[in-house]
Amino acid sequence: MNWTKNFSNSASPAKSTWNLFFLVMAIGGAASSAQGKLQVVTTTPDLRQLVETVGSMDVNVSALAKGTQDPHLIEAKPSFMVRLRDADLVIAQGLELEEAWIKPLIEGCSNRKIAMGTKGYLELGGSLNPLEVASGQVTRAGGDVHPGGNPHFQLDPIRMGQAARLIADRLAELDPAHGKAFLERARQFEGQMTEKTKAWQKRIDTCGVKEVVTHHKTFSYFLDRFKLKSDIQLEPRPGIPPTASHLIDVIEQMKKRKISLVLIEEYFADDAGEKIQREVPGVIVQRVAVSADAQPLQEVIEALVKTIERACSKK
Amino acid sequence: MNSKILCSVLLGFSFRFSFCFFFLSSFLLSPSTFAATNTLRTPDIGVDTLLLYRNSNWGKADEVGDDLGRNGLNVQEAEIGFRSDVDPYSRLTMVLTVSPTLSTGTTGLVKEEWKVMPEELFAESSYFSATTIKVGKFKAAFGKHNLLHTHAFPLVDAPLANTLLLGEEGLNDVGLSAAFLLPVSWFSELTLQYLRGAGGDDKDPANPEFHSPSPAAGVGLAHFKNLIDLSDEATFEAGLSWAQGPNSLRTTTSLVGADLTFKWRPAVLGLYRSFILGVEWMQRTRGQPDSADEVGSGANIWLQFQFAERWSALTRTEYFKADGASGDPLVNPAPLANDLFTRQAVALQFRMSEFSFLKIEYDHRHGLAEDVRLTKGLSADENKIMLQADFLIGFHPPHSY
Repeated sequence: MNWTKNFSNSASPAKSTWNLFFLVMAIGGAASSAQGKLQVVTTTPDLRQLVETVGSMDVNVSALAKGTQDPHLIEAKPSFMVRLRDADLVIAQGLELEEAWIKPLIEGCSNRKIAMGTKGYLELGGSLNPLEVASGQVTRAGGDVHPGGNPHFQLDPIRMGQAARLIADRLAELDPAHGKAFLERARQFEGQMTEKTKAWQKRIDTCGVKEVVTHHKTFSYFLDRFKLKSDIQLEPRPGIPPTASHLIDVIEQMKKRKISLVLIEEYFADDAGEKIQREVPGVIVQRVAVSADAQPLQEVIEALVKTIERACSKK
Repeated sequence: MNSKILCSVLLGFSFRFSFCFFFLSSFLLSPSTFAATNTLRTPDIGVDTLLLYRNSNWGKADEVGDDLGRNGLNVQEAEIGFRSDVDPYSRLTMVLTVSPTLSTGTTGLVKEEWKVMPEELFAESSYFSATTIKVGKFKAAFGKHNLLHTHAFPLVDAPLANTLLLGEEGLNDVGLSAAFLLPVSWFSELTLQYLRGAGGDDKDPANPEFHSPSPAAGVGLAHFKNLIDLSDEATFEAGLSWAQGPNSLRTTTSLVGADLTFKWRPAVLGLYRSFILGVEWMQRTRGQPDSADEVGSGANIWLQFQFAERWSALTRTEYFKADGASGDPLVNPAPLANDLFTRQAVALQFRMSEFSFLKIEYDHRHGLAEDVRLTKGLSADENKIMLQADFLIGFHPPHSY
C-alpha cells in the first residue's frame, strides 16, 4: 500500500485528519524512545544527578520534581505519565516522601516494567540506614510524620555515595552489558564523597558552630553527618506551617541557647526567618538550596558549609 | 471511633464478618504490629467527613423537595474508603458514603434517614501496556467535574448542569472502562466505557437520564483528554466527552460535553501561589415519544486563586437552560424545567493542614422550577451562605491533577 500517496491524495478532509493524527502519533512514539539505552526516571533531581554520574552516556535519565519544589507536594501532572510510559526504571527516595504523587503516576502510565515491587522500581531510603524512624504510636497529631524514617538523605554525601552503589547494582541488573562500568563509576563517586566529607568535617569543626535551627527536617542527615545539633524547627510539627506562638518559643530558645544560624529550604518563604532576624540579634537566616538540580551535589553541600562558616565568622 | 456502629454499618451492608474483623483489627493492633502487617492483611482505610452549615431563604420551609436543602448544621457526607493492591498490576477500591437524606414525611414534618451507599467499588488493572482497565461501579469519565468526590468539589455544590442533567450523584454506574494512553509526546488519553445505565430503586433511581427498562440496554461513553505543559509552571487541558444510550422513555438520551482547564503554579515558592481556571459545558438531549426532544444544557466557569500557603479564594458563575421538556408525566416523568437558571458563587478556603479545611461560601441563584416555586411560595432568587468543614483520617488516595 502506498501510504504517502493515500495520505496526500485523500479526498475526504475527515480521512486526512485521521491520517495526520496517526502520523503525528507514530512520530511522537518513535521520538520518545531512544534506541538501546536504559530509560530512567527519578523522582528528584538529586537522584537524577546520581544516575547521570553512574550511568553516564549509557542511560537516559530525567527527574520529575524540580529542586525548587517541595518534594512532598509535587502535583501528579498527567504529562509525567508520558515520561513514565517508556521508562525501564523509576528511582525514588522512598520512606513515603513521594507517596502522594508517584503511585498514581505509575498506575496511570500502565507500564508493567516499572510497577511497584518489580525490578523496574527502586526506592533507596529504606536501605540507607534511615534516621528518625518513628517509634511508639504514630498519628497525624504529630504532623506529617514518615514512620519509616526521615526521607531527606540527599544532603548526606556518604549516604549519597551508598545510594550511587545501589543504583549501579540495579542498572547492572537491567543492563548487564554495562554493569561493570556502572559499578566502577559508583565506586569512584563514593570515594570522592568520602574524601570530600573529611575536608568539610574539618572546616565545620574549625568553625565551632554546634547548633542550627531549620525550617523543616530536611537537613537532619547533613547535620547528623557533620555532628551538628538541630532540635528546633520553625514548623511546630512536620508539614505544619510556622505559627506565631511557636515562633515566639523558637526565638526564646535561640536567645537562651545562643543559636546564630537558621537554615530555610529554598521552597519555603522567609517570612518566619525575617521575624527571627528582627528579634534575635546577630543571627544569620539563610534560604539555601537543598537539592542538587541547577548545580552539582558537591556545590550544594559546599554552599551549606560556607553558610555555616559565615555564621561562625560573625560570632 | 465507635467501632460497634461501624461494624454494624458494614455488616448491615452484607459484608462478611471476616472483613469487619480485619477492618477493626487495623485500629486495635499495636502500632508496630500494624505497621508490619497492614499492607498485606488489611487494605488502606480512610474516612473523610464533610460537615455543612447552610442558611438560605429557600431552606426555611418546613418541607423539603427538589432543589431545596434545609437550613442548619448537618453532616453533609462521610466517605469511607478502602483500597489495596491486588498484585503488582491491579488494585481494588471501595468507597462507601454515609449521609443523611431528608424527605417530607406523612405528617408533613421533615424526616431524616441515614443511608450507607456504595459510591465506588471497582478493580483497576495496568497489566496491558499503556492501557488502564477498570471494572465495577465507578464515576464515569464524563467531563471533569463528574469524576470528583464531594470533598474535592471546588465549590460546595456541584454545578447546576451536572446536578440537573446527570442526577444528584452524577453519572456513576456499574460498567467496564478502558483508558488508552496514546503514543504521542504530550498526555493524550482516550477512554471508552460501557455502563449499564441503571441503578438505584423506583423511588430513587440512579442515572435517571438513562435507566432503560431493558436490562440489555447499555450506555456507550467516550472521553478524549489532552494535557500539554505550556511551561514548567503552567498546563492546559482540553477534554471532549460523549455518551449515548436508551432511556426510561424507550427513546435515546445523548450527552455531549467539553472542558478546558488552565493551571499555574510557580516553580519557585509554589507552595504559596497557584491559579486554576476551568470551564465546562455539557448538553443532554432526551428523545420523548411523539414529541420534540428535550434539550438541556449548562456551563460553568470557575476560578481558584491561592494567595497564601493556607488560603484560597474561589468563584464560579454558571447557567443552565432547558427547552422542549414535556410537562405530561405520562410522556416524561422526570422533565427538566423549561427555563433559564443562573448562579454565582464566591468562597474563601482555609486549609488547616493537608488533611482538613474550612470553606465559607456565598451563592446567589436565580431560577427555580415554577411548580416548586408556586407550591412552596418561594421567590425566584436564592441567597445562600454555607460553612463547610472537611476532616480526613487514615489513608486517602491523591486527587487526580
